[in-house]
Amino acid sequence: MKRVLPPNLTDREFDLALKAFAKVVGEDWVLASDQDRSTYADIYAPGPEDQWPPSGAIAPGSVAEVQEVVRIANRFKTPLWTVSRGKNLGYGAAAPRLPGALVLDLGRMNKVQHVDTELGYCVVEPGVSFFDLYEHLERMNANLMMSVPGNAWGSVMGNALDHGVGYTPYGLNARHICGMEVVMPDGGLMRTGMGAMEGNHSAHLFPFNYGPSWDQMFSQSNLGVVTSMGLWLMPQPETSLLLSMSVPNEEDIGWVIDTLTPLKIQGVIEQSIFVPSWLGKVVLMGTRKDFWDKPGRMPDWRVQEILKQNKLGFWTVGVRLYGDEAVVRAKADVVKRAFKRSTDIPMEESWWRQGEPVDVMDPSNGVPSAVALQMGDWVGGRSAHLGFSPVVPATSKHVLGQMRRSKKLIEDYDLDFYASFTIGGRFCNNINMLMYDRDDADGVRKVKALFDELIDVTRKAGYGEYRTHLNWMDPVAETFDFNDNAMTRYTEVIKDALDPNGILSPGKMGVWPAAYREHAQRGKHS
Amino acid sequence: MKRLSVIVLVVTAFAQNVFAEEGAAPPPMMMPTYQMRAPLPEGDRLETTGSGEELFSNRCGSCHLPFGMGTNVLTVQRLALGEPPEMGLLTNREDLGAAYVKAVVRNGKVGMPRLNRVEVTDSELERIADFLGRGKP
Repeated sequence: MKRVLPPNLTDREFDLALKAFAKVVGEDWVLASDQDRSTYADIYAPGPEDQWPPSGAIAPGSVAEVQEVVRIANRFKTPLWTVSRGKNLGYGAAAPRLPGALVLDLGRMNKVQHVDTELGYCVVEPGVSFFDLYEHLERMNANLMMSVPGNAWGSVMGNALDHGVGYTPYGLNARHICGMEVVMPDGGLMRTGMGAMEGNHSAHLFPFNYGPSWDQMFSQSNLGVVTSMGLWLMPQPETSLLLSMSVPNEEDIGWVIDTLTPLKIQGVIEQSIFVPSWLGKVVLMGTRKDFWDKPGRMPDWRVQEILKQNKLGFWTVGVRLYGDEAVVRAKADVVKRAFKRSTDIPMEESWWRQGEPVDVMDPSNGVPSAVALQMGDWVGGRSAHLGFSPVVPATSKHVLGQMRRSKKLIEDYDLDFYASFTIGGRFCNNINMLMYDRDDADGVRKVKALFDELIDVTRKAGYGEYRTHLNWMDPVAETFDFNDNAMTRYTEVIKDALDPNGILSPGKMGVWPAAYREHAQRGKHS
Repeated sequence: MKRLSVIVLVVTAFAQNVFAEEGAAPPPMMMPTYQMRAPLPEGDRLETTGSGEELFSNRCGSCHLPFGMGTNVLTVQRLALGEPPEMGLLTNREDLGAAYVKAVVRNGKVGMPRLNRVEVTDSELERIADFLGRGKP
């Protein structure tokens, strides 16, 4: 990928900045060749990768180096785009929102600084992947369980900061962050929570500050660079039990949600409950042409055939209960009784007890896997995916409305419907997976137009996305439109006060510093 | 479902073979090996002294050891070519050369994304490519 300079910088100024960075991190960790730039591009880009080009990357190896890099960036006005490991696949990977920003790659900072087995938490640096943390916990026999997302290749910290979800009782990853160390936009350093006191013993235990709390201010944020954070970990349960069933019809999602949500709110079910549609299972069985070799969406009759042949329902319900066997047994009875009120389909039981092998394809077991990315094989070619991800109340009224609305639109665009609802509490994260071949220009155009329309239609119905790809960070920010987008305006006042040069991740989640605000794509779509 | 079962059986067989061949006890809780990669060798990653085998395990293992996403995808591809399923494991392949491995790592290929020099340094990649290429350039 050819060099694209940061806005307002000449080649000479940029080269001087790179030299200054190299003095801090070492020449080998200033990554600015054509090949380096390509390795930081969005590999799933909906459209040409050079739509979001980095000018290069800087990879500091310590907090002190991060601080110095930020100071130099201020001096040379080189905007930085911070990534932990850059595996935000489907949302832009490592690529920056602002063309020419330098990727601040924190992947070298990959230490698990501390694990407390008694109180159940760890302190991790940004480069620690889910695999790294898992292996660390296993090697020390920590008897703690992680919350892992579908794609565990990425960073534990990056995922939590970007509001990623897992499928265990600790599945709301961002909610289990406790105590951070953050490099400020001027290169200063601060710690949040109890850790704001030097040597405080409760730095990663008490979830609030003395005074206003800042932890969440640094999630989905461009207000600081988080260099380490505490994350609570669940004690490894004595047993777990998976109760599963396939439900046949698309409209069944309504009663399924109305059955599960009260159990979740009561605490009978503790996990974040993942309910995927049939395609979530079928993408792991082969490629699309194995099931339907014509262009356009698979007709309903063929879907029904596939479901019948593979003994699948339209939705798969999998509820995992964790803990002491007697408690799990009692909870299972409550769950089964609740389902009996709506269906005669029996729930299959699958027990796991400590010491037994784990189904590694099921993230509710807290073991990392990247197998979910196999869906990339579904459409063939240089396949990629995008997630359209609104949040809806966890009731049948809202879930059915959302499902019908997005399904109709996706099918109007002649694409296969693949959705999941994950009940995280009183709400569901609804992920609509849109898969495409990056070399199919018409297909990419179609997916982008669909995405634009999904945002509009969903906003009009009263719902918004929790996370989105670079291309739609501004349009989605605009949907949060109360009082002339008061929340974004408030964030930008803070942004300008803390980061007057606008060097930290300009444009992240539609928050633009004054220095680069003209790059915002407001009032326009892709 | 049949196809998924085949894949699961294939990778399970891999895991068992790996343990049997190496005569090693399965790791704690019988986790498959891809979740217990070799540790990242200590020292300067720009001039690594780690072996190609341990570097491959640590840097590539989350996808390319048994049960990994890359192994699963490659197993299906190799079966389609009439090869035995164990050819889905890169470490069993005899047709890889070091230059090819390096090109795929840096340029990507189909579902394989490009890896940057923080993920795999040039020094690490030299050793990994030499290991997978079995000395072939």
